[in-house]
Amino acid sequence: MAKILVTDDAAFMRMQLKDILGKLGHEVVGEAENGQDAIEKYAELQPDLVTMDITMPELDGVEALKAIKQKDAGATVIMCSAMGQQDRVVEAIQAGAKDFIVKPFTPDRIEEALNKVL
Amino acid sequence: MDTNQYVEVFLDESRDHLQAVNDHLLKLEKQPQEMSLVAEIFRSAHTLKGMAATMGYEEIASLTHKMENVLDLIRNNELQVTTEVIDVTFEAVEALEEMVASIAEGGDGKKDVSHLLAHLQKIETGETVAEESSENNQSQTTEMELDDYQSTVISQAKEQGYQAYNITIRLTADCMLKAARVFMVFEGLEEFGEVIQSVPAAEELEEEKFDQEFTVLLLSKHNETAIQERLHKVSELESVNISVLADLDNSASPSPNETESKESKQQDEKIEKEDNTAAETKQTTAPTQEKKPSTSKTIRVNIERIDSMMNLFEEMVIDRGRLEDLSKQLGNHELIETVEHMSRVSQDMQSMMLTMRMVPIEQVFNRFPRMVRGLAKDLEKDLELHISGADTELDRTVIDEIGDPLVHLIRNSIDHGIESPEKRKQQGKPVKGTLQLRAFHSGNHVMIEMEDDGAGINREKVIEKAIANGILSEDRAEKLSDEDVYDLILTSGFSTADKVSDISGRGVGLDVVRNKIESLGGHIFVESEPGHGSKFSIQLPLTLSILSTLLVTVSDETYAIPLSSIEETVALTNDQIMNVQQKPVMDFRGKVIPIVSLADVFEVPQEERTEKTDISVVVVKKGEKMTGLIVDSFIGQKEVVLKSLGNYLKDVYAISGATILGDGHVSLIIDPNALIK
Repeated sequence: MAKILVTDDAAFMRMQLKDILGKLGHEVVGEAENGQDAIEKYAELQPDLVTMDITMPELDGVEALKAIKQKDAGATVIMCSAMGQQDRVVEAIQAGAKDFIVKPFTPDRIEEALNKVL
Repeated sequence: MDTNQYVEVFLDESRDHLQAVNDHLLKLEKQPQEMSLVAEIFRSAHTLKGMAATMGYEEIASLTHKMENVLDLIRNNELQVTTEVIDVTFEAVEALEEMVASIAEGGDGKKDVSHLLAHLQKIETGETVAEESSENNQSQTTEMELDDYQSTVISQAKEQGYQAYNITIRLTADCMLKAARVFMVFEGLEEFGEVIQSVPAAEELEEEKFDQEFTVLLLSKHNETAIQERLHKVSELESVNISVLADLDNSASPSPNETESKESKQQDEKIEKEDNTAAETKQTTAPTQEKKPSTSKTIRVNIERIDSMMNLFEEMVIDRGRLEDLSKQLGNHELIETVEHMSRVSQDMQSMMLTMRMVPIEQVFNRFPRMVRGLAKDLEKDLELHISGADTELDRTVIDEIGDPLVHLIRNSIDHGIESPEKRKQQGKPVKGTLQLRAFHSGNHVMIEMEDDGAGINREKVIEKAIANGILSEDRAEKLSDEDVYDLILTSGFSTADKVSDISGRGVGLDVVRNKIESLGGHIFVESEPGHGSKFSIQLPLTLSILSTLLVTVSDETYAIPLSSIEETVALTNDQIMNVQQKPVMDFRGKVIPIVSLADVFEVPQEERTEKTDISVVVVKKGEKMTGLIVDSFIGQKEVVLKSLGNYLKDVYAISGATILGDGHVSLIIDPNALIK
């Protein structure tokens, strides 16, 4: 069981991820609704894993990832993205994201991603 | 996956995002260079797409996806913001709104959007640099063909203890961002050595010009298992086959230098491109970050809960009144103090609860810019809409109801009020008409004004029509003031449009508007200046259920008069009442106003009327008009809860409802507007 911080600007997406992660036996310890929020919550909660949406207000997921990685190089972050964000995903991978999942996501895909990185 | 439980959140957020797209599109139309707006629209479309796809609403997902593609091109300066782009995007937003509405009503959110998709596709491909789809002739072979140069590299590497591996990787069929996945594979492999070639070539992999499989040639000192393990960490890979490259035969194809230089050039380009996109995204995100106001924390509460809380509170207000009375009767000081404190607290609670129900009228006004834009196009009129006071707050119930009447009035103004551009030019007016929509607080009311600079209301025409329609007799017509004439257009069975258009004048007159507004406890006034435009003013109560009233007695009965319509209370002596045309009037600050006796209006049984020297009069007003109401005595100010009389007692003259007083008696609440002539 891993402690997970879910980041997405849509409450809908967070609910869903939380649900899936819960069913996979993980604990969602926090939810962040933008990049800035994620950075703060990461420092506060020290989760084992962060799921990070890319397109968000205030601070987008890639920038947030960079900030988190700067403070904690060992942070495990999985990007969540929709179709058509290839460049940003690549940028995120370069910045140290461990994997990415593409919306709409399936529980199977999330399980796979978690197994690979944890 | 069962998604039903998310539908509500999905709908709420979708509406928010659609509204945001709407607003930003309108702004973008005015400032086509403002890239931060494009970024905002993109973000909303993007979020919508993600949510819709998860919920399985494919039409919404595919439409937003196409929108996103077009927006992305704009964002990257590959496409200009043109009217065409804006128009199509608006159409798309409309379609999305319909689909979301259909889902809200329990439908499946399906709609034929193929023409929109095609149109967006055309924009996406048509005007941009032709996409290199013609180059789709890449070989599907995974055979590795080595040229001289590479052969040399490999043999040299082998001498230094490197092993050459031929690695074939197959992605899963549902892998979506293939290029990013490939990137992860390459990144993993580069930890072990150097990838010296790939099939298809790196550039093609990057553009996703491959099916599921690709092969790379890796030079590494590590063994197969280590590489296998590393690649196992990458998701969405169906299979990884690693084989050691057999000894080389030097029969490879010629022209090694060319390939090499090409490859390095590709690499450069790739890096350059990445730098560009990174820089661009930074540029576009920076301004939005500054602009974004810090959002306060909110929770969504179902309106029903607030409504039932309000109902409970109303019950409490009644009990509060009763407690106040009782404590006064008992005269116990401590009890009085406690009750008074409770009254103060509950008054604060009441105002909190009211503000909780208050929503900015923005919600209603928001849809007008697009509507006006559409109407103006349809009717070939040129006009601008100015909105002010959109942050004025009104009770939720009023907000829900006020939309339709306003739409009706706006349509009316654009259709009948604002003249065609040619006509305006002839009359020496600015070609562009203006329509102003204002909302503001005024005492215990909220005013909404809609003013146009169109033709105004034609008195003669209105009278003619009214007589033709039988709502007015000819001899009365002469006596009517302008104001009364304008009022006629709000009467049922009236329509001044010369020809029936499908925008307004569908036989449904403006009387519908008046009825609606009056049912909300509000009033509508019309002002007009022929040739210069007309103004519709709507006065609405701040809240509907709890009223501040003045309690008065008439004989043994207690009546409540809403404070909001009271101008003043005065005491008259008998000789101050005069008669004009056999009707009693009084002088109120230099104005002669009619007076009526409530006892007569409500036929209150009176004992022998003793001649009183002092007569108590409540002066009530409706707009500019005032009337004095004769009562027996004033009791005082009281907060009361308005209860409707129910369906059995509909349309009781001059009574808007009833309330329960502190002593348990029922008191009728007077609707003074009915008493003002």
